[in-house]
Amino acid sequence: MMGFALKTLRHRKAAFAGAFVTLLCAAALVTGCGMLLETGLRGNVAPERYAGTPVVVAGDQYVHQTIVKKKGKKKHKAKQIAERRWIPASLADELRKLPGVQKVVAEVTFPVHEDGGREALGHGWDSAALTPFTLATGRAPKAADEVVVDAASGQRVGTRLKAQTPAGPATYRVVGVTRQHLSSQHTLFFSSAQAARLAGRPGQVTALGVFPQVDVTKIERSGEVVAYSGDERGKAEFFDAEQARIKLISLGGALGGTALLVAVLVVVGTFALSVQQRQREIALLRAVAATPKQLRKLLGGEALLVAAVASVCGAGAGLGVGFWLRSKFVELGAMPEQLKLVVSPFPAAAAVLATLVAAWAAARLSARRAARIRPVEALGEAAMPAARLPWPRLLAGVLVTAGAVTLTLVLSTLTTEAASGPLTMVTALLWTVAVSVLGPLVVRAAVTLLGPALRTSRTSGYLAAANLRARARRLASVVAPLTLMIGVTCTILFVPTTMGHAARAEAEAGNRADYVLGPHLSSVSAARLRERTGVTAVTEVLHTSVRVGLTKYGAQGVTSQGLARTSDLGVRSGSLDRLGPDTVAVSEGAADRLHVAVGERMALTLGDGTPVRLRVIAVYARGLGFGELTLDHGLMARHVDDPTGTLLVAAPGLSRTDVAAAVPGASVLDRAQAVAAAAPDAEVNYVAMGLIIAFTAIAVVNTLAMSISDRTRELALLRLVGTTRRQILRMLRLETLTALVIAAVLGTALSVITLRRSAPG
Amino acid sequence: MTDAVQLEAVSKVYGKGQGAVAALREVSVRIPTGSFTAVMGPSGSGKSTFLHCAAGLDTPSSGSVRLGDTELAGMDETRLTKLRRRRVGFVFQSFNLVPSLNVLENITLPMRLANARVERAWLDEIVVRVGLTGRVGHRPAQLSGGQQQRVAIARALVTRPEVVFGDEPTGALDTVTAREVLTLLRDVTDAMGQTVVMVTHDPMAASYADTVLFLADGRIVDAMTDPTADRVAERMTRLGAWT
Repeated sequence: MMGFALKTLRHRKAAFAGAFVTLLCAAALVTGCGMLLETGLRGNVAPERYAGTPVVVAGDQYVHQTIVKKKGKKKHKAKQIAERRWIPASLADELRKLPGVQKVVAEVTFPVHEDGGREALGHGWDSAALTPFTLATGRAPKAADEVVVDAASGQRVGTRLKAQTPAGPATYRVVGVTRQHLSSQHTLFFSSAQAARLAGRPGQVTALGVFPQVDVTKIERSGEVVAYSGDERGKAEFFDAEQARIKLISLGGALGGTALLVAVLVVVGTFALSVQQRQREIALLRAVAATPKQLRKLLGGEALLVAAVASVCGAGAGLGVGFWLRSKFVELGAMPEQLKLVVSPFPAAAAVLATLVAAWAAARLSARRAARIRPVEALGEAAMPAARLPWPRLLAGVLVTAGAVTLTLVLSTLTTEAASGPLTMVTALLWTVAVSVLGPLVVRAAVTLLGPALRTSRTSGYLAAANLRARARRLASVVAPLTLMIGVTCTILFVPTTMGHAARAEAEAGNRADYVLGPHLSSVSAARLRERTGVTAVTEVLHTSVRVGLTKYGAQGVTSQGLARTSDLGVRSGSLDRLGPDTVAVSEGAADRLHVAVGERMALTLGDGTPVRLRVIAVYARGLGFGELTLDHGLMARHVDDPTGTLLVAAPGLSRTDVAAAVPGASVLDRAQAVAAAAPDAEVNYVAMGLIIAFTAIAVVNTLAMSISDRTRELALLRLVGTTRRQILRMLRLETLTALVIAAVLGTALSVITLRRSAPG
Repeated sequence: MTDAVQLEAVSKVYGKGQGAVAALREVSVRIPTGSFTAVMGPSGSGKSTFLHCAAGLDTPSSGSVRLGDTELAGMDETRLTKLRRRRVGFVFQSFNLVPSLNVLENITLPMRLANARVERAWLDEIVVRVGLTGRVGHRPAQLSGGQQQRVAIARALVTRPEVVFGDEPTGALDTVTAREVLTLLRDVTDAMGQTVVMVTHDPMAASYADTVLFLADGRIVDAMTDPTADRVAERMTRLGAWT
């Protein structure tokens, strides 16, 4: 059968071109996504700062929970925390007592925002050996205002450096330049005493470097301390790379899966079209002597041959897609530069296999129809495609629709963004699958509705309406992928936009401040501003995420003094006045989910993994715009990597320039800017979606071209009976336009249904 | 003389209930081995349905169809296909050939589908007999209508079938080419003892047969042996008057 399949392929190159291009694109996308997925699963970040340290002891970046399920089964779950977990400095002494340990070096790390916009990480000079860094010129820093810069800084001994540290703005003197520099970060060394002071966490360190390579796992404590060696050390240094890996896994999976689904839908469509076009030939084969099984084999064989060539070419192109995606993601900040792409044959092999299976499945689906063609049809005149939808398909359609309705209802009961995000996608996909399974029915109904409108054009419209009615199935194979494209695109594009819109509206409605200053201002700047006459209130704001149990909540930290004059959270019960280190305010949505009310206590894990128990003092409405939990700024500042943030200033009598002049180095921001800057994920989704849209567009154009090329005979006949060229072109345009209109309406409708349900509040 | 095809009280009803249309009503006929039979009748007389039922392309609503000793009633589609593959040959009006295969591949298609070996000598003999020597490498698109029909006849013969069925095999051909094809069919019957059953509406084509069966309104209303074109035409005119 394969030999025969090869012959028919050679003869009908054009008919299979559509399927070929679609499968090629699918294979390329799946390979690219597979590379991201594999990088997410197996990718390792090489250590830079800790490159010269055999063993790094650092904080556990996860919160752990053991869930006891039914029948005593235990399941261990771990979730990443948002900030770096610090460890007690006293661990150094414990480590020194372990056998074989010769030297332990304590390290603190804190952000330094240099004037001029450069961001660096500050450390104590004692820990320079961890890389190791050595001096090229100058000497080690001794006094509090002395620093050593790295080779890439372009500074020389003797220059002055203005910078913001967690302790506030100050001017430093460069006393030395190192021989080395790190490729992805700028490094600044202070004297060890000054570094510890600037970091602001007495008695704690970010890491301990252990020399030489010995087993120190004895020191590990789950949820607190972990020892890293070898390639693992990168995880201690770039803990955010771990988050990126998780993102890559989900994104790679979702994107690749969508690509495959689109491919199956489109290829089912093109194969179904080609089966229709070859109805006579297939009927002849049946009459001459091919059993239904042989026909299925023939069509499956054709599909496999097309897919084999397409997937191998596609997998090759997919390598390029993978690298392109990585470069885009790095550019958008969704993926750290240090996370190198894992290149192995697995994604390509998986893509080839997935494409083969998808093509084969698509061929099998359309072959079911081909095998039903009765040989008698070869003897009669041109057979019109059967109008009835086979009942298994009808049943499947009803089931999928029921599933979509159920999910839509489930979606409306969910209120968290985190929970509804992926489900929204699945719901939209399920709706499109329902539309494509029931395609011919839906399309026939739509054409009946559109018929009168079409017939207003007496010749072309009349013909177009007749064609569409008679060939609902052909129209359906064009409409299905288009609907998928429009529906999924709308859903993906508008979920973040809808969220962002709601958040921005809330933030604007709740904003009472006259000016917003940022981006990296310390409490020292805030204090300076408060002293200025004309300034009535200054609220310091920090953002991070905390976990309650394992669930992540966006949180803001604010100073409570004068809070009512800079922002209005829409307090529903309780009061924000006594917001302090042992209290918390909760948004209505979060209060519902956590079942807490004013006066009750709740346990949560701060950004750096520190557990606290806080008393709820207020419930407020504007959770979307301000964060679901509101904590005391002082408490939060001690538990984030970068305690500098934005300032909300109430100063009705002062001009913009007055305020800006009071805090040198600060820029005055709009509130809207501040919110928009906090959502980089949306752009990553756009890149991913862009690929899917381009892919679907290629596929749809193919299907359209194919469905018209099949009709040359019919068009020639129309010309013979006196239809003018213009009328025919107009007829084709009207038909295509109808397909577009139906798909646009369906796609928009299903994304609106899905979004309506998922939009919180 | 044995019978190649035997129909006993065969009826075929399309549709159900009020809209039911009977295409064949209690048709019984025997077609002897080695004969050339033409089936004639006006449009809608059921002659195509007759051919489909006799050839196992369609299953009758009631009655029995025997091909040689084999009862076709109650066979499923796959078994029918396998039976057609071995024991029946077909020549259709048009769209007879697979466009992607060349002449030789089209002729041997049934053997390939049956996974059977082609006897070289037999194949050569058929190619010579249908007059396609030197054209076996051509594709259907490169052949004239008459040549395409010769390929179809060669394909019908290659499995040494018990019966070759033709559905208007000359319907799409001009008079001269049609005569050549009919002569070939006659020749196949005479020289090789091949049983041929052909549906046609052309009295000239029917005159090449040994026997002509006349169908009207789903029934066999008459039979004629040693027909001539004039007698067949006259009979048809009367049939047309009756219906």
